[in-house]
Amino acid sequence: MNSLDADLVIWLNGLSGNVVIFDDLMRLVASDYLMPLTFSLGMLALWLSGRNPVERAKYQLATLVGISALALSNGAVWLINITWDRPRPFVDHGDQLNLLFYPPTDPSFPANPVAIGFASAAAAWSVNRKFGWWLFAAATVYGFSRLYAGVFYPTDIIGGAIVGVAVFGFTTYLRRFLEPLVTTFIRLIRGLSAA
Amino acid sequence: MNTDPMVVRDVFASHYFLLAFLASLGTMQVAVTISGARGLWLTPYRAMTRWLGIALIVTGFLIFFAQPLWIEGPWAAGSVEADSVSREWGQADWADLAGARNVNDIHGGLDGTRQAIWFPLAAVLAFATSALAGALNLWVFKRAEGPAVQPGQDDSDADGLAGLAGRSYFSNLPVSWRKFRSEVADVWRTGLASADRWSVFKVILGRSPE
Repeated sequence: MNSLDADLVIWLNGLSGNVVIFDDLMRLVASDYLMPLTFSLGMLALWLSGRNPVERAKYQLATLVGISALALSNGAVWLINITWDRPRPFVDHGDQLNLLFYPPTDPSFPANPVAIGFASAAAAWSVNRKFGWWLFAAATVYGFSRLYAGVFYPTDIIGGAIVGVAVFGFTTYLRRFLEPLVTTFIRLIRGLSAA
Repeated sequence: MNTDPMVVRDVFASHYFLLAFLASLGTMQVAVTISGARGLWLTPYRAMTRWLGIALIVTGFLIFFAQPLWIEGPWAAGSVEADSVSREWGQADWADLAGARNVNDIHGGLDGTRQAIWFPLAAVLAFATSALAGALNLWVFKRAEGPAVQPGQDDSDADGLAGLAGRSYFSNLPVSWRKFRSEVADVWRTGLASADRWSVFKVILGRSPE
């Protein structure tokens, strides 16, 4: 499994260096700022875009769950990281890779950026399929860019996606135990004219 | 890295804040034109506000990723390698631009925690800006396009974002707050009654579902 994983990242990363514009595009997409901010903006848009009271309440609840899932994904990734310290591809196969991104120092599995992307996409998808698919696409492209850059294995990306969606599911379930606090909190924000 | 990470972090934080502010403001404008919260629009017209929002988002990202061309930072031309260790202080050139912002957080890039602090602050500032501009808009341009209130809503009764369909933030706030204060106890009671039987509050307060 590991050798197939390594072969895939070496093959994909081996495509770099041929089309400079594509490499530059991947460097931009892989950045710590473009996609993570896009996911946050997605949550902000979801909060504000409900067209009527029912839709608004549904979207805002999903936003709160999404933001919580995003934060909890980091915790879940950290827990897995302390259990399994998987070396990054450039550590094991540095001589075969053309690194396009700085070498992160945390473990490779699961891909944290992908986990947060999929957590927020799942939150959006749960209330607005079209918008959710767009965020899933963004999270997938983000994962692909990190793979292409040589900082993750394909299984790290898949693992990150699973963690993100699973944590969203867990957070949705967790919310039930915190009611009526969550609904009252949204009502408070509405009292401040922001919900 | 030949530069103090703290100095690099300050540069990144200020640039990121500007990006987050512009992008949040833009996103907010697009979203409130969908929901019809006119009290937060930067212009009196829906289409114009939406296009302005899109322009603000694009401008925010363009400025952030192009800034290394004219602002000095850990991206001096020729020193931008994938590994951010070798960076020199200076301005980037076009060839280095795509990777200029890819600086490891141990070398001064912004980690997730710092972004999670700066983003909400920028979003709150963007909301305040929208509220101010929206109030000015409603005051100056009395005749904005379309109905001031969403169909099926009573202007005097609407609160929160719904109330912003026809009122400025500042005239909507007292209405919303008054309504919150009068309804909060009911919201809590109803929520508690319909909450899962394993709700932490239901367990603590010992209430039955009915």
